Amino acid sequence: MPKTILEVTDLKKHFTYRKGLFSSFKDQQQFIPAVDGVSFYLKENETMGLVGESGCGKTTIGRTVLRLEKPTSGKILFDGRDITRVPTDELRQLRSHMQMIFQDLDAALNPKMRIRDILSEAITVHHQISDAEVEKRIGDLLEQVSLKKTKLSNFPHELSGGEKRRVGVARVLSVGAKFIVADEPTSALDVSIQAQVVNLLRDLQKSLGLSYLFISHDLRVVELISHKVAVMYLGKIVEIGLSDRIANRASHPYTHILWSSLVEKQSREASQKARSVQAGQWGVFDFERPAAGCRFAPRCPVYESKGKPEICVAPSTEPQLKDIGDAHQVACHFPL
Amino acid sequence: MTTATVLKIEDLRTYFYSRSKQAFIRSVDGVSLEIEKGEALGVVGESGSGKSITALSVMGLISAGPGVISGKIGFRSDRIRKNLLQDLEDFVKLTTRDGKIMEVSKDVVGWGQNTERAMKKVRGKEIAMIFQNPKSSLNPFTLVGKQITEAIRLHTSIKTEPEAKDRALTWLDRVKIDSPRLRFDNYPYGLSGGMCQRAMIAMALACEPSLLIADEPTTGLDATIQSKIVDLLAELKSELGVTTMLISHDISIISRLSDRVAVMYGGTVCDYGPTKEILSTGFESKHPYTSALLASIPSAQNIKEKGYLQAIEGEVLDTINVPAGCRFYSRCNRVTEKIRERCARHEPDLREIRSGHKVRCWLYFD
Repeated sequence: MPKTILEVTDLKKHFTYRKGLFSSFKDQQQFIPAVDGVSFYLKENETMGLVGESGCGKTTIGRTVLRLEKPTSGKILFDGRDITRVPTDELRQLRSHMQMIFQDLDAALNPKMRIRDILSEAITVHHQISDAEVEKRIGDLLEQVSLKKTKLSNFPHELSGGEKRRVGVARVLSVGAKFIVADEPTSALDVSIQAQVVNLLRDLQKSLGLSYLFISHDLRVVELISHKVAVMYLGKIVEIGLSDRIANRASHPYTHILWSSLVEKQSREASQKARSVQAGQWGVFDFERPAAGCRFAPRCPVYESKGKPEICVAPSTEPQLKDIGDAHQVACHFPL
Repeated sequence: MTTATVLKIEDLRTYFYSRSKQAFIRSVDGVSLEIEKGEALGVVGESGSGKSITALSVMGLISAGPGVISGKIGFRSDRIRKNLLQDLEDFVKLTTRDGKIMEVSKDVVGWGQNTERAMKKVRGKEIAMIFQNPKSSLNPFTLVGKQITEAIRLHTSIKTEPEAKDRALTWLDRVKIDSPRLRFDNYPYGLSGGMCQRAMIAMALACEPSLLIADEPTTGLDATIQSKIVDLLAELKSELGVTTMLISHDISIISRLSDRVAVMYGGTVCDYGPTKEILSTGFESKHPYTSALLASIPSAQNIKEKGYLQAIEGEVLDTINVPAGCRFYSRCNRVTEKIRERCARHEPDLREIRSGHKVRCWLYFD
């Protein structure tokens, strides 16, 4: 039985913003509930995929779990230790166990440092070791991510997208992290390079026993790499389960629409079939005023087809995650 | 050139001179394509394979800096008929020493004027283009509606503002923007990415062009929005018969929307034929790059059958030092001993292997 490496309970992260200079005196502070009560756990050697449209709070979860953002409320247990309120000076030590692969590597790699310096900096931050050892460690890392040694003296802008990605992965591995948040690691890459990166991440997981929180909006990649998938909508997890079940036997109307929109692109016939499942309006969602009751109701085809039942929009009855067997949970009053 | 051909690109070469490396970056290196009236041609390939540069060359948007174009782009519609690259080569002088190009001198002003003269009646009016990032291609300081009416008044016979507004509203409605009257008076920041793209499509089509070039129309949009835009394009195509050149690296979009496909690799077309043959897994005789590309997409079928993705090893071609032989040779997994020599030394031509299907690979010619 593998042990649980990360456990998140009722995590909330609200961003506040002010309207005008004196608003704080007038008590007009408004907040955006980017993550609004999320619970999940992650076992060792396991990958959890996190999908959803842009702006639903995927990245915020990743950043909050690593304590790059201060959680508003809730509890984060990492390796059995509560890290929700760990003071900043202890965080550094913690970060040698948990790391993040950032989405935009053009921004994440210092353009004025050579690859060798980028890697050796990451190694020496956490471990005081001699130059010879650093050199050896860099050699090992390059081998792990299959990057050529000649690239060490290059600057980030001289590398291709796939190579930059490999440097990003190598830098994360250099500190010896066991738990990695991978934020859109394959977006903006070509399909052939994307496949290389996905395979690399899977191989590393096998050989080093890593756990990933894999954030992406590319549903197919998530389905492929993850053991579990959580689907998010407006700061909440609406469905969570084994990736095969989510992809093929989704219960939440939103998940269903997400996956069928993939099929729709592919062929005309499939598109007809998918459309009969989803009717309903596709308005733009509004983060500042989440609908009362179920957040998805205004866009939901089931809500529409059932004749707009009261329970979906009643303020007190926001659907909670319910177990429907096989570790498959769904937050919906009328699961498909 | 048959009567129904709208665009015929012959041996297009677009090079950029890099001063620091003293060499040409051969972005597009001998591309020949044809688009028939009412047809949708899909162009797929990795980034850096020259898809977008081909489109920009057609639009006459390669002007700044040391870019060099040669070849012929024949364009023909009900109204005009011309070679869009007429006389452009006269404005560039190359100085070579020992077979290496030492200097490129370009009459930038003359080049610019000539392009403008050639493209004046074509751009926007005959050939319209939708760009990759809708948010950044709309002017942030101008109302969305104003931008559309401006294009209409410039390119069509409609010259008065109220008439143009009518037409713009019809088209906004046509591309299914909700409450078009409201959106007409919005600034682009008030529109979501999907709506911006719809507005772009409306602007492009409102002038009734003979050819629409869509350069990555769905990249950067959410999956759900993507499928809506694809739906819209499919609908417009079947109802209005818009002739389209669709550029994308997303194979699922290409397979849904296009009739024929050109697969590009390293500045050349390596596989060119009907969508059904090229993008179906059942059809065997295609370019090894096409097969590898199809195997590397995370499609439902690939996941189910193999459980992992077949990556194409190696890196995208270096378009400065183009190798002597086949451009895909270093990454190809189907080289046999019999043809190895030839693959490494000589570049294959794009030859027809069956009616309407051309492949650039030694595997199919003996």
